[in-house]
Amino acid sequence: MPQSVSSAKSYDAIIVGSGAGGGMAAYVLTKAGAKCLLLEAGSWYDTAKESAMLKWVYEGPHRGGSTPDKPFGEFDGCVGGWQVQGEPYTNAPGTDFMWWRGRMLGGRTNHWGRISLRMGPYDFKPYSRDGKGIDWPISYEDLAPYYDKTEELIGVFGSQENLENTPDGKFLPAPRPRCFELMIQKASNKLGIPCVSSRLSILTRPLNGRPACHYCGQCGRSCATSSNFSSPTVLLPPAQATGNLEVRCDAMAREVLVNREGLATGVSYIDKKTRKEMQVRGKIVVLAASACETARLMLNSRSPQHPNGLSNSSGLLGKYLMDTVGSDGAGFVPGLMDVPAHSCDGVGGMHVYMPWWNYQKQLRSEMPFARGYHIELGGGKQMPGVGDFDGSEAFLGGGYGAGLKRKIRSFYGSFLGFACRGEMIPNKDSWCEIDRDTVDQWGIPVLKFHFKWSQDEILMARHAQETFRELIVNMGGEVVQSSGAEDNWGISKGGQIIHEVGSVLMGDDRRKSVLNSHCQAWDCKNVFVTDGAPFVSNADKNPTLSIMALAWRTSEHAADEVRKLNV
Amino acid sequence: MIDDAKSEKKQHTQNSMDRRDLLKVLSTVPAAAALFPAGAARAAEMSMPHRSGAPAAAAPASGDYQPTAFNPHEYKTVTVLSDIIVPADERSGSATQAGVPQFIDGWVGSQGGLDTIRGGITWLDLESNRAFGHDFVDASEAEKKQLLDRIAYPKTAAPDDAPGVVFFNRMRSLVLGGFYTSKMGIQDLPYMGNQMLSEWNGCPSNVLAKLGVSYEKT
Repeated sequence: MPQSVSSAKSYDAIIVGSGAGGGMAAYVLTKAGAKCLLLEAGSWYDTAKESAMLKWVYEGPHRGGSTPDKPFGEFDGCVGGWQVQGEPYTNAPGTDFMWWRGRMLGGRTNHWGRISLRMGPYDFKPYSRDGKGIDWPISYEDLAPYYDKTEELIGVFGSQENLENTPDGKFLPAPRPRCFELMIQKASNKLGIPCVSSRLSILTRPLNGRPACHYCGQCGRSCATSSNFSSPTVLLPPAQATGNLEVRCDAMAREVLVNREGLATGVSYIDKKTRKEMQVRGKIVVLAASACETARLMLNSRSPQHPNGLSNSSGLLGKYLMDTVGSDGAGFVPGLMDVPAHSCDGVGGMHVYMPWWNYQKQLRSEMPFARGYHIELGGGKQMPGVGDFDGSEAFLGGGYGAGLKRKIRSFYGSFLGFACRGEMIPNKDSWCEIDRDTVDQWGIPVLKFHFKWSQDEILMARHAQETFRELIVNMGGEVVQSSGAEDNWGISKGGQIIHEVGSVLMGDDRRKSVLNSHCQAWDCKNVFVTDGAPFVSNADKNPTLSIMALAWRTSEHAADEVRKLNV
Repeated sequence: MIDDAKSEKKQHTQNSMDRRDLLKVLSTVPAAAALFPAGAARAAEMSMPHRSGAPAAAAPASGDYQPTAFNPHEYKTVTVLSDIIVPADERSGSATQAGVPQFIDGWVGSQGGLDTIRGGITWLDLESNRAFGHDFVDASEAEKKQLLDRIAYPKTAAPDDAPGVVFFNRMRSLVLGGFYTSKMGIQDLPYMGNQMLSEWNGCPSNVLAKLGVSYEKT
């Protein structure tokens, strides 16, 4: 029996990955008439059947606790994690990068925060603005029409605010803030920090046959009514309805195959069920395996035509890997004690957030760091979890008995959490390469990471810590969780925020980028990348919406190429 | 025993991640505190990784439950301590009525942490025997109170009682965690969500009034 099997059928496009970028590529290409094969490394997932939505914590065999394939708890919508059994990665000395892989249809779109922020005009030209990082080869105006289309397709709520470098979108009505969010808004306004409706891809009105949100607050469990955005509920069904999409799960891509001219002919993957290599042919190949996985796939696609990996004549494949700056704080606000019982669930996530507010100060060089962050927040009377009481003695002084029960009722809902989500400037010390000494269980060489924050990011985390303190104190509260100089202001580890982008950069100079301004490989023109890998910067605008808008633009261009090839 | 607890905790973190440690170590998640932030960052962006649990019995306590992690004496001690930490009151029942001892037996059995509780019970019995001449479960109410008051208030506890304080903190966390994730505990708080609403109207007016906020644009 041969070890590899070649499929006789040829497709117009082979798409690797079914998340935000791959799902969007499938949507646009199939609608344009291209016959597509979508490869997904994880298993099939039926959201309506498998979602744990509305389960009580006591109904889970683990009371909501984690399981080996659900590190965010047994009810979480995403199968995968920072560690995937049999699929290791390595870190260079001094690096502690964490690489989350979603291994299921739709990937990480099954449990993401639905935070859908447009990048602003400054964010595309960061080098021109402050001399750091790299400018994108496109501008906000190039992507704006695709943001419009994406928001109208997936449904994003928000409010028109007309804030600097924080473009408004095609929004559904925003939900009213929760009680504690009104208090935060009040404190924020006093400090001159904008605190406006968040922008989440959750339906506050029915859209395209999907019902509106029912406000159970459990978007992370994946929504059984498709009232929030995920690729398998929003992008893949219309793609499948065209009759042009074939989906193959448990297909772990290992390399892009090329012909003598160095053009892609298809993809080689390992069928996880049989552990055999399969080869599939396509006129174009679209990579959307997630930033690092796409870099890995390209680096592993070595041939005489592409000796250092696919389209790597610049030597930049794998370079400029970015994540988001994270830093957390929490406060106890006595004013929120003994609040009358009511549901604080709302949508799955914050109803308000604080966009970056210091652009003008930075322009005047009055800030100690470049680039901005926004503040995400949470609190309220949430569904309890088993670990919620760990450390309660620090607040309640210990004790036991009926008095302890009374205190807990009184304190319930009086704690607030804040999180910084800030921009990381690409640097030469943060990148990934192939570790030739290690293969995963599918025989594919793994990634080795190098990662380092710069002073800009660390000082940003410090500023965030100071802002959290001001907000909490302003509300009459007490800071109960904070970070200081001793732990670098609580700055997250690389990969912890799960916003990794870059490593296969787009650009308008083939010596300084891997992809052109249409995310088409410079050295292999029938390969396109539609995930976060082409990102040239990682603004504080959570990347998923931009991944989809850029994927839409790239896929339109790819569809044109398919048409030309078919003529 | 303190050292045991530490090494056990380390193992615990490696195995299944302690949420407290996660707060420090993982800022993946915008912290949005639930009950107590030291253990309770809850996601704004995503849900916080939860510590794994054992298959936990949600059924009310029954006399014929056979513990799998604890021996009968330990289980009896856990049961007695559970009801001292969360007794019945005018609003809700006790920890045992909410199935907490079974929950703890399953939780420590599968997630680690058994030695902390087991060692703590041995420490408690030793102190009880030295002071009163019998095990903790056989002590009178006044004797139990006398002993627990030594270890239930971390700030005022004697340094020599530190092992008991560590044990009782853990015990308290487990009992509260088990109780407030039961149906009875959720109704006690009360947590009013986890239901499908036809629309979201924001906060009720009595809450707005108490907090001095409103939906009117100022």
